This record gives sequence, structure tokens and C-alpha cells, in this order.
Amino acid sequence: MISRRLPLASAALLAVGALALSGCTAGDTGGGSDGDGAAMTLWHNSTTGPGVEFWEATVADFEKANPGVTIEIQSIQNEDLDGKLQTALNSGDAPDIFLQRGGGKMAAMVKAGQLKDLTDAITGPAAEEIPDAAYSANSLDDKIYAMPVAVLPGGLFYSQDLFDEAGITENPTTIDELETATEALKAAGIDPVALGAKDAWPAAHWYYWFALRECSPETLAQAADEMSFDDDCWIRAGEDLQDFAASEPFNSGFLTTTAQQGAASSAGLIANHQAAMELMGAWNPGVIGSLTPDQKPLADLSWFPFPEVEGGEGLPGSMMGGVDGYSCSVDAPDACVDFLNYLGTSEVQTAYYKAFNAPPVNTVAQEAVTEPYLQTILEAYNAAPYASQWLDTVYGQNVGNALNVAVVTMLAGQGTPDDIVKAVKDAAAKA
Amino acid sequence: MPRRRREAAARLEVILLAGPALLVFLAFVIFPVLMAAYYGFFSWQGYGPPTDFVGFKNYLTILQDPLFHDALAHNGVILVMSLVLQGPVAILLALLLNRRMRGQSLIRVLIFVPYVISEVVVGTGWSLMLQTSGALNGLLTNMGLGFLANDWLSDPGIAIWTLMAIITWKYVGFAVILFLAGLQGIPEELHEAAAIDGASYWQIQWQITLPLLAPTLRIWAFLSIIGSLQLFDLVYIIWGQYIASTAGTSTMATYMVSEGRNAGNFGYGNAVAVVLFLISLVVALIYQRAVLRRDTDGALTGSGTRRKRSTR
Repeated sequence: MISRRLPLASAALLAVGALALSGCTAGDTGGGSDGDGAAMTLWHNSTTGPGVEFWEATVADFEKANPGVTIEIQSIQNEDLDGKLQTALNSGDAPDIFLQRGGGKMAAMVKAGQLKDLTDAITGPAAEEIPDAAYSANSLDDKIYAMPVAVLPGGLFYSQDLFDEAGITENPTTIDELETATEALKAAGIDPVALGAKDAWPAAHWYYWFALRECSPETLAQAADEMSFDDDCWIRAGEDLQDFAASEPFNSGFLTTTAQQGAASSAGLIANHQAAMELMGAWNPGVIGSLTPDQKPLADLSWFPFPEVEGGEGLPGSMMGGVDGYSCSVDAPDACVDFLNYLGTSEVQTAYYKAFNAPPVNTVAQEAVTEPYLQTILEAYNAAPYASQWLDTVYGQNVGNALNVAVVTMLAGQGTPDDIVKAVKDAAAKA
Repeated sequence: MPRRRREAAARLEVILLAGPALLVFLAFVIFPVLMAAYYGFFSWQGYGPPTDFVGFKNYLTILQDPLFHDALAHNGVILVMSLVLQGPVAILLALLLNRRMRGQSLIRVLIFVPYVISEVVVGTGWSLMLQTSGALNGLLTNMGLGFLANDWLSDPGIAIWTLMAIITWKYVGFAVILFLAGLQGIPEELHEAAAIDGASYWQIQWQITLPLLAPTLRIWAFLSIIGSLQLFDLVYIIWGQYIASTAGTSTMATYMVSEGRNAGNFGYGNAVAVVLFLISLVVALIYQRAVLRRDTDGALTGSGTRRKRSTR
């Protein structure tokens, strides 16, 4: 979508013709924020139930409040989104508004000059009610490139009913206790942990959490800067995961289980009480809710943070998670920024939380959160001495992908912890 | 009409008829091949024009990458096993369907249907049925054959055979149709003559049908070989973007997509595409020269006949 800046008169003249032809954008010359005549596209990653409805309702409300602005919504399956988005950005046919995961992926887009700088454009409730910490996840060199919409820390989501059935009264706080819990679940005939390893990243999250527990914050930061994974803690994290996997905690056939697609996916197994727990980000309640038989949130869903690892160099209580945001492509019309500001208001944020069952970033909207598990997540996140983004996002597409696949290969019994580190170095050679 | 003008008219006709096809071929086949060769010499993440020239580094990395060796080996297994599994089965089915029998056309349709269904549908269907908690294992358990239940897709020792079974199921119909067409071209008199001479049914098939069917067989084998080298969609749908190499079913094409597009290394991915192209080209040329030579000699107008028909 190309929007040209034209003198007012010719713009008015052309607008008639443009409208007559196809309703193409006539450009916004006054710098005003009403953005008349702007047509935009929006790419998001929710494919089920309330998520899709949220975007339709939000866009409809925004279009009503801003006559002349039209937004075409495209819902793209999560695992396909990054690849399609990169292709679209590189081909110069980018969507105007799209999901932004941050980290190395955002850095690559910024480097290529594909994102709109939002630093001075964020105004109103979005500027006042969303804390700086949320913006920092979507910033690079003190410039903001995306509007945060949800804070999504990870941890273990579990079914309280199944834990009760297996006689587990206290949530595991160490890996040893977690293994005791999985044994108890197995003894009760329940698959302890659901894992969608077909999509690779859910399996890799186990490795990332072990790395967060084993590695000091300095080591993690150094790895992000220099892509060096020479510290012993990376090997130890792999060994921890190998030991844990040796107790066979995962659902059978986890290698061909997807994360979010249908009842047989890992989220579906939790939703239908086929497995007791899953290591996931805070978007999981929404995904699980859309996969329960009645498509309602799972009533007995609970959450506890990833257990501590004895002797690890990581700060106890450290959290990992993402901040989902939305970016404007560099050529998007001004109305795009208005839409992002609208996304940051407390009403939309509250609607977002209700649709996705995920913690919003707007502090006013956060007060509306009633689910105990979301409150626990927010508490743990706010109390964490150190918070990291998902490591595959931090390290970017190339290394991130290689790490993810290497972890799956190790879980399939075909690799060692050393192979994970080696895979990262091999990937660096292909860049 | 003067000879020269007639030649000019003929030439114009050739340009008119072949031009559009040639243009499309140049624009969408030759040009991308050249561009891939160009990009393959760069370290390029796909943002902006490529600037970081690395020479043959990408190619060296490919040839040294154990993951690529695995993918190449899988392609080899698929290539050989496709011929070994589909060939005999398809010939027997074609012989069977070439005889008059009840329900013949129904069986023909049933055998051909898998080939018509799109790869994505086939892949999704089989991947759901073959999951560890899927329909096939459920069926086996309910029939009291639970000991046969397996991780059909995720066990690296089995996965490639599962893939071969699906490929055979899907593509045998194509081979059968080709062979049926070939069988129609064999004159009935030969069979009758042999039968009068006292040849048994199987002797007739072995001595007459197979040799006369050989040109069709060789063409089918050629198509099958090229298809095996470029296999992508079934693997990508069933095993997804990430775990094909873990399950031992990755092919050169899935390797190209995962290491090129998914990893964001477009320069490297283009180099893989060139390697894949060269391997396919070499195999195709060798096959044409070594195996298809006799067929093309017979089918196309050879140098002897050409001279006679030439207008010049």
C-alpha cells in the first residue's frame, strides 16, 4: 500500500477519481489523525473462537469511530505467521499492522527499515496506563517499534482435578519434586506432561527454562550479544533436560503432537484432561479454553512457576516470557498509529484479556483480571529479579530455529547436550 | 509464393506460436535459476539487496553438513524404493485391469483416486490416522493386535517406511494408468500367436508384454526418479517444519526450506536450491543418455528419416 503526499487541491481532485476507481488511499495531508480514506491490512495469529471475534469487534469499533478508515483482517495460523510475514515484508507488500514478537526478529526488521518508529506517536491512555517496562520489550536503541498488548510469561499450567486425583497436594518447587509429581501422576494412570514437539519450540522451551535456571543473567546477555554458547551452563541445561526426559514424563507420541491445533494437540490434551500439565506461555489459557469440549475456559486450570534447579547460577524466581505487540509497517498510513493507540486503551485491553484469557499490559485493565492463575502469573512476573524474553526470539530466527530443532532431536534420543551447542555453531555458519 | 517470403512467414508463425511459451519459460524457469545461482554466493538474510559476497562458502557448508547428507540419503532410499515397490505392483495391477472382468472401471477409479487427491489432504489425513494415539493404532488395539501398534511417524526406524507406504499408495495409481495405456498399444495378435504356439499366460507376459511395455516402463521410472528427488509436500505436511530430520524423513527440498526460508538464511537456501537443481539435472541427463536413448531414437524422427522429409 503506497500512500502519497499530495497538495491538498490535487488530493481532493484525485480523491474523487480514486474513490470512483477502487477506493484507494488518497493520503493524509493535514497531519491530522482522522486518517480519512485509509485502507489497511491487519495480520494476527488467533485462529479460534473469541480471539477472532475480538479482532473483528475491535476493528469494527475503530472503523465506526474513524469514518473512511477500513481495515482488512487476516488471521494466520501461528506457526505460519513468521515465515509469511518475512516474505511479505521483503517483497514490499507488507501488511500495515501485524503481530510483533520482539527480540532478534524485530531487530532484523528495524535494521531493514521496515517498521514505523512509534516513539513520539504514542499518546493518550496508551502512553499513561502502560508501564515503560512493557514498552522496553518492543524497543531498540530507545525507540519504540510496537504497541504491547499482552505480557505473556511462561510456567507450568496444570489441571487441579488431575493433580488431586494423583494425590499431589503441593506444587513442585524443585525439579526433584516435579519428578516425584510426574511419578505420582503416572501411578494414577495419567500422562504427566503434554508436549507439542512437532512444532519444536514447545520442546525447546523446556531447554530454555533449564538454561534460565543454570545460566547467570550475564551469561544469557553475553550469548545474545555475541552468539557464543561456550559456557558450561548450556551443556548442563541440556543434561538436566535429558535426565528429566529419561523419566518419560511426556505424553506418548509427543514428537508428532502439535502445540495448538485440535484436540490431539498438547493444549487439547490439557483441555480434555488427557494430560496433567504443560510448560507454556500465558497465552495458554485462551488456547486451552478454545479446545475444551464446550469451548469455555477450563475450570480447574492452575499455574505454578518453573521449578528451581539446585546449584544453578540463575537467580531464583527468574521469569521468561514474551510481550506480544503490534507494529506498523514503515509505509502504513497514519491511521495505523491511531489504531495502535486504540489497542492500548483500557477498554480494548480489557476486551483483549477476556478474549484471550491472557494478562493485559494496561495497568487499569489488569485490575479486571479475576482468574487466580493469571493473578499468580502477574505476581510472579512482577516479583521476578530477572526477566528474559523467549530465548529463540532473543537469538533471532537462524540460531533460534537451530536450537529448537536440536532440542527436539535430543528428546528423540538422537543427540547429546553437546550436539545442541554444536547445532548453534553450525547454524551460525549458514548465516 | 517466393521461397524467401514463405520462409519468413513460417518463421513468424513459429515466433507467434512458441513466443509466449518461451517467454514464460525464460521468465519463470531460467531467470529464477540464474537468480538463485547469484544469491547463492552471498550471505543474505533476505533484507534489502545482497551485499555480503562469500564466494563458495555456502556450497562448502552444504557439502559438509551432516543434515544435508542425511537428506540426500533419504532421497536415495525414496528413489530406489519407489521403483522397487511401485513397479512390480503397478505392472501386476495393470495386467489384472487389462483383462475383462466385473467391476473393472470401479477398481480402476479406486486405484487412481489417491493420485488425484491433493498432497496436502493426503498428508493431513495420514498424519492424523498414524499419530501414536491415532486411528490405526486404535484399530490395531481393538482388533487384539496391540503388539503391532507403533509410533508410525515419530520412530526414526519406522518413519521412512511409513513414508514409503504412503508414497506407494498415492502414486501407484499413476503408474497403473501409464502401464494400462502402454498395454493398449500392444497388438492382440502377438498374444494370440504365442498362445497358438503353446505359450502359457505368464510366458506370454514375460516374453511379449514386458519387452513391448519397456518404453513405458522407462518413462515411468524417469518420472518417478525426478519426483523422488524433489519430494517435498508430503513430508512437509506430515512431519511439519521442524522434525523431519529428527524422524529421518527429511529430503533435500525440506532441508532447503528449513535451512533457507525458515531460518531466514536466504543466501544459503538459494545455494541449496542450486545443488538440488544440479543433482536433478545430472541424474536426468545420465538417465536420458543411458536408458532413454533407444526410446527417443524410435519415437522422435531420427537423422535418417529427417533427411528424407527435410524441405531444404
